This record gives sequence, C-alpha cells and structure tokens, in this order.
Amino acid sequence: MSSSANEAAARASAVSEMGRTIPTDAEVPHPEGVRWGMVVDLDRCTGCQACVVACQAENNIALNEEQRVLERRAKTWIRIERYWEGEFPNAKARFIPVLCQHCGNAPCETVCPVWATYHNNEGLNVQVYNRCIGTRFCANGCPYSVRYFNFWNPEWPEPMNNQLNPDVTVRTKGIIEKCTFCVQRINRVQVTAKTEGREIRSGEVQPACAQSCPTSALVFCDINDPESAPAQLAEAEAGRSYTLLEHFGTDPGIIYLKKVDPHAEIHEDEHAHAGAHA
Amino acid sequence: MQYLTALLPRVTLKQALILGGATAPPLVGGAGVLAILLYLMAAGGTATPAPEQPIAFDHSVHAGDAAIPCEFCHRGVGSQAAATVPSVEQCMFCHSVVKTDSPQIQLLQAHWDTNTPVNWARVHRVPDHVRFVHAPHIQAGVACETCHGDVASMEEVKQVRSLAMGDCQGCHRENSASLDCATCHK
Repeated sequence: MSSSANEAAARASAVSEMGRTIPTDAEVPHPEGVRWGMVVDLDRCTGCQACVVACQAENNIALNEEQRVLERRAKTWIRIERYWEGEFPNAKARFIPVLCQHCGNAPCETVCPVWATYHNNEGLNVQVYNRCIGTRFCANGCPYSVRYFNFWNPEWPEPMNNQLNPDVTVRTKGIIEKCTFCVQRINRVQVTAKTEGREIRSGEVQPACAQSCPTSALVFCDINDPESAPAQLAEAEAGRSYTLLEHFGTDPGIIYLKKVDPHAEIHEDEHAHAGAHA
Repeated sequence: MQYLTALLPRVTLKQALILGGATAPPLVGGAGVLAILLYLMAAGGTATPAPEQPIAFDHSVHAGDAAIPCEFCHRGVGSQAAATVPSVEQCMFCHSVVKTDSPQIQLLQAHWDTNTPVNWARVHRVPDHVRFVHAPHIQAGVACETCHGDVASMEEVKQVRSLAMGDCQGCHRENSASLDCATCHK
C-alpha cells in the first residue's frame, strides 16, 4: 500500500505544479437535501467480486474477454483493487472496492465540452450517454480511473443478450460510461414513493453492488441524513473513516472505513510515535 | 404536406444529413431539390401516419361514442411505466356478446379461440435511451389528451405530438416538473 501512497503523493504534487488550485473544504459546495452516497467498510470486504458481477448484470456492461483485459480496456464500473501487505509467508491480501466516488467537486464534470456529465441536485454525478461525444477528457480528469470508454460496440453471445436490463441504455462505441449508483433503481423507488404519496424510506434504494454484497461491506445511503444507519456507522467509526485521495479536494460521496487488523505490523516510525505517547 | 411526408421513407435528421452528404456531390444542380426532399423525409419522422392495425379497432366508437374511460382498457397507466394494451380476454369481456356478427370482432374471436395475442402495431415510442413512466404523469393530473391528442375522435390512432425532448421539456418547465437529465435519460 505504501507504493500507492507514494504514487498518490507524486500525483498530488504534479497537480500543484500545474498551477491548479485545490479548493478548501469551505469552498467545496455541500448540497442541501438528499446526497446519495455509500459507506464501504473494508473490514467486511472479502474481495469476493459479487458486486462486480452484480453491476455487470444490472448495468448491461459489455463482457470483459481476456484480450480486453490485456489491452487494459476492460470495463468494470466497480472493481476490487487488491494489494499485498507484507512479504511471503506473512503476506496479507487487502481489498478496496473502487467505484465512481460521485464527487461533490468532480474534476470530470468541469472538463466536458458538451455537458454530457454533470452533477444533479441529489449528489449524483450523471452521465448522459446520448449527449456524450467521446472526447474522453472526463476519463483523463478522473483521479480514481472509474470512467470507461467504449472502444467497441458491445456484443453478447446467445443467450446472454436476453438478460439485458431494459432500464439501462446499451452504450455504443465512442462514448464514456460510468457507475450511476443504479440511477434507474433510484428513479423507480422515487416514482413508487411518489405514487404512494410518501417519502423514500431509509434503505429503500439499493444499487446492485450493495444489494449483492454478502457481508454488507457496501451500504448505500443518503449521507446528508444523519439518521440513516450507514451515516451513523460512519459517525461511530469516525476513527477509521476516510475518503479516497482526499487531498485532491474532490469531496467524494463514498466514505471508506479502514480495515481493523489487530495483528498489523507496526511500522518503525509509527512505533516511535506510539512510544512517545506512552 | 402530411400525405407527402407519409409517402417518403422516414429518416432521422442525422440520417438525412449523412444521406445528403453522400448524394449531394454528384447532384450539384439538384442540391436544392434534394435538400427540400431530405427535410421532408426528416420531418416525416415526427408527423407519423397512423400505422396499420391487425384489427380495425375504432377509438372514436369506444372512447368517443361509448365514453369508456381510457384507464378501463389501458389499466397500467396509473400505476406503472407502460399504459399497457388490453389483452384479448379484456376485449372479450364485452365482445363475447357485443357485435359478435361484425367481421372485425370475428377476427378478435379467432384470436380468443386460438389463444393467440393480437399483434397491435405500436403508435407511440420514445427512444431507447429515454425512460418514460406513465404513473407520475397521471398522478400529477396530466390528461391523456395532452400528449395523445383527442383520441376519442380518432378512428385510427396516430401520434399528434413530436414527443421529442424539447416537447417534453416545455411541459416540464411550465409545470415546474423535474428538468434533471437523469429523470428521463437512462
């Protein structure tokens, strides 16, 4: 993990060298009302990839054949990043599910020349497929690499073409696609709630990834609602909560909770630090 | 004008432009005529003629003379995305006794006897990247005629509004409905 931290530090300095100003927390807009987000408890994630499969099925994502993966053009709106900690035989696998962070201050939104991507008033980073012209500026701007370009028209062999979700557009060649937080499910719940004349219940909306997670490592919520269970979890576990690459000031909508590891090796510098306190 | 556009093959504006680009160079003299022709072909995409139906169902008799409410047959309209087209069984609620000697009803009876659905031709269709749900519109009190025109006086139902994005947005803006892209685009 330390090598990726170095990389992140290197990227951060590169950004500041380019003269970009990083907004402070006070400058980042915090929308009122609903802000859809997620709490990812890495202590619960086993890296089973159920979320990846569920997302693939729900959102009509093209099949990632071996060749696509080798070309580094595979599409997975949510991916499990794996890190090894320690040396064999004491190596430990660490998993981080990475999906679109639905940033409050998204670098991808400002660079789109045709407003195909924008922030809606519910905190979603929306991609309008039929408006996208495929400049790929957004994918280049995304520090999390969660925007995927369609280099080919998707193809599904028989009988897999029959399982496509009719509520999700099949993206054609030449456009960018990304995690939508299953906006079709959010819309469906909103319409149902409206039809029944009530508010959306807490926990009623579930994207495919959160729904399929066997350990409930991914929990979807309105992070502006302090009453929601995931928001309370993040509050209670504030000691181990963080957001990805938070020094970029993107204000992600996804809160990660660090893994609890009682047997973790304490690094020399941390040990010295702990000793100073004792 | 309507008849002229109905005769021409229907294309989208984008297709018309591509077609224009491909055919204009050899026809420099006739470019003006070609432009008008292509414009009409593209315009034909919105002013659609009534499609031919397998059974000559007359809305003016049912919704007009008999004044049957739209929701009586299109039962999904208040609760789901699709308004739904009634099943043969639903037609037979009445037509097992009403007008059984009519040749058109005998066509229906044949479907009932052979357990086959009627392949009604679809009249209104929004593009694949749009998700239209009837229920919230009905809930908001939008009358069916607002989008579908005066169906009660139509012998053959045809599309009367363009139902293009600007058409939807105009109405949404007037009624302070959501203008967020993600509301309709999927």
